[in-house]
Formats: sequence, C-alpha cells, structure tokens
Amino acid sequence: MVDVEPERNNKQKRILRQWLFNPFQFIAGSGALLVGLAVILVTAFLGSLSNTHFDGVLDVHTGRAAPLWFFLTEVLIDWLCLSVVLLIAALFVSRSSFRIVDVFGTQALARAPHLLSVLAVLPKGSNRFAEYLLSKITQQAPTTTIKSTDILFFVAGTIVMLLMIIWMVVLMYRAYAISCNVKGGKAVSSFIAGLIIAEILSKLAIWQLALRTGLLPS
Amino acid sequence: MKNLPSICPACQSQLKIKELLCEKCSTEIGGLFELPSLARLSVEDQEFTLQFVKCSGSLKEMARLLKMSYPTVRNQLDNIIEQIKVLEDQKQDI
Repeated sequence: MVDVEPERNNKQKRILRQWLFNPFQFIAGSGALLVGLAVILVTAFLGSLSNTHFDGVLDVHTGRAAPLWFFLTEVLIDWLCLSVVLLIAALFVSRSSFRIVDVFGTQALARAPHLLSVLAVLPKGSNRFAEYLLSKITQQAPTTTIKSTDILFFVAGTIVMLLMIIWMVVLMYRAYAISCNVKGGKAVSSFIAGLIIAEILSKLAIWQLALRTGLLPS
Repeated sequence: MKNLPSICPACQSQLKIKELLCEKCSTEIGGLFELPSLARLSVEDQEFTLQFVKCSGSLKEMARLLKMSYPTVRNQLDNIIEQIKVLEDQKQDI
C-alpha cells in the first residue's frame, strides 16, 4: 500500500509556499485590487497611529506627525507610481497581451507585508525611541523620555520591517512577472529599473505634497 | 492504453511514427510519419488545450475551473502558442 500522507503534506507545504511568495497564481484582477486596496488603506490608518510613514515605494520611516489624509495619500502615491512605471515597462518588454487591472491589482496586494511592518512598530516604546532618535538627529531637545525597554521594541520593529520589505519586493516582482508575462533576465532588469524609477518618482511626489501643504517647512 | 510519447527518453530528440496498426483488420502501415503539432506538446499542455477548447476558449472559465488566476492561465496559453509556433517553424524548415 502506498503511503499518501507525506505526499499530501508536501503538496500542502507547496501550496502554502505559493500563497506566501506567489499568491498571484491564484488571485489577480479585480479581486486582488479590492483586497490590496483595503490592506493598503488599513496599513496607512495603522501607520497614522504610530506616525509611520510610507514615504516612497520601499520606504518606511517613523517619527513626524501628520494628518490621516497625508498617510493615506502617501500609500496611494507609492502604489500608483510603481504600477504605472511597471505598466509602461511591460509595454516595451512583454510579448503578451495583459490587463491593466491585473498590474494594478497584483501590485496593490504585493504591498500586504507592510501591514505587518506597521503592526511591528505599533508599540509605544518603538515610537518613543524613534522620536528620541529624530530629536537627536535634528539636534533638538528630546520631547519624550525613553524607557530601557524602548530600544528592544525599536530594534525588533526595525528587523521585522526589513524582512517585510524583502518579502514585499519578492511579491512585487512576482506580481509584475505574472500579470505582464515577462520572464528571465528581461523581467529582472526591467523590474529593477522600474523599481528605482518609481522609488524616485514617489519620493519626489510625496516631498512636493508635504511642501505644498505646509507639512514640511519650505 | 499508454500515453503517446513524443520525446525520446534516451536522447530527448523528437520521436516520429514508424508503424501504424488497424486494430480491427490487423493491417499494418510502415513508413516515417511526423507527429502532429498538438501531439508533440507535453501531456499537461495537451490536457490544457483540450480543456480550453471544452471551455469554448474562455480564459475566465478556465481560471475558475483550474482555481488559478486569469493571468496565470493566459500565460500558460501564451507559452503553448509559442511552442506551437516553434514546432510549425521546425516543420517548415524540414
């Protein structure tokens, strides 16, 4: 008799791995867009509670206080910049036809790891230490006193954030490769170029927004 | 009945048909025949193509049936189209 248990376990592990690192095999289009947008907006809302800014496609910084609309606009700018740049890149490198909703939807869902990043820096200790660091960098008098455990929360939060950024980049690449049917070196090089361009564009857009709305001194 | 192999297990070259048999009257036909393009695809790709035809060419229906996303199914179809084009080019070169 053949033992099917190890085979079933292997299949379950493979499916779990695919859901974690390539969920776009199973979900794309409007479904991914709705779930992705919901996750993006919840991430921005939670970010506003701990002053965590997503001020660039890959950036996560804690510190400066801002109104809720600014946090929401930041994440939407990040998502739109990368989606539009990768869409343009795909027009040049993909030999397949593809749907715009798949590009925007999968890129929205690829930002899901940031939800865990923002949860990791929600503890007040992490926020206090970030504020303390910011005051040191800007050479102003610290507005808060820090506890001895705050640095632990800050370090743990930073490690989680870095891991989540790596996971997010993997998801962004998979989203691009599947939604636009690009493979191999062409896919990797166009993705890296697109990511760098989108990062610069999003930083500039958010910086301009902060300047024009008076959130940053001109 | 066994599945029809299209690739040589020893050297990975394309196989050809040498002999055909009528099961009813036992007539045997010998020669050298090319496999049709569709028969030269992998078994998985042949099954995919068959399913695609059964779904009246609807990728959305295929995605629902295979529990896969739309672009994944479309990419698989594009890969099959690419393979068929290569096989047809090879046939023309011969």
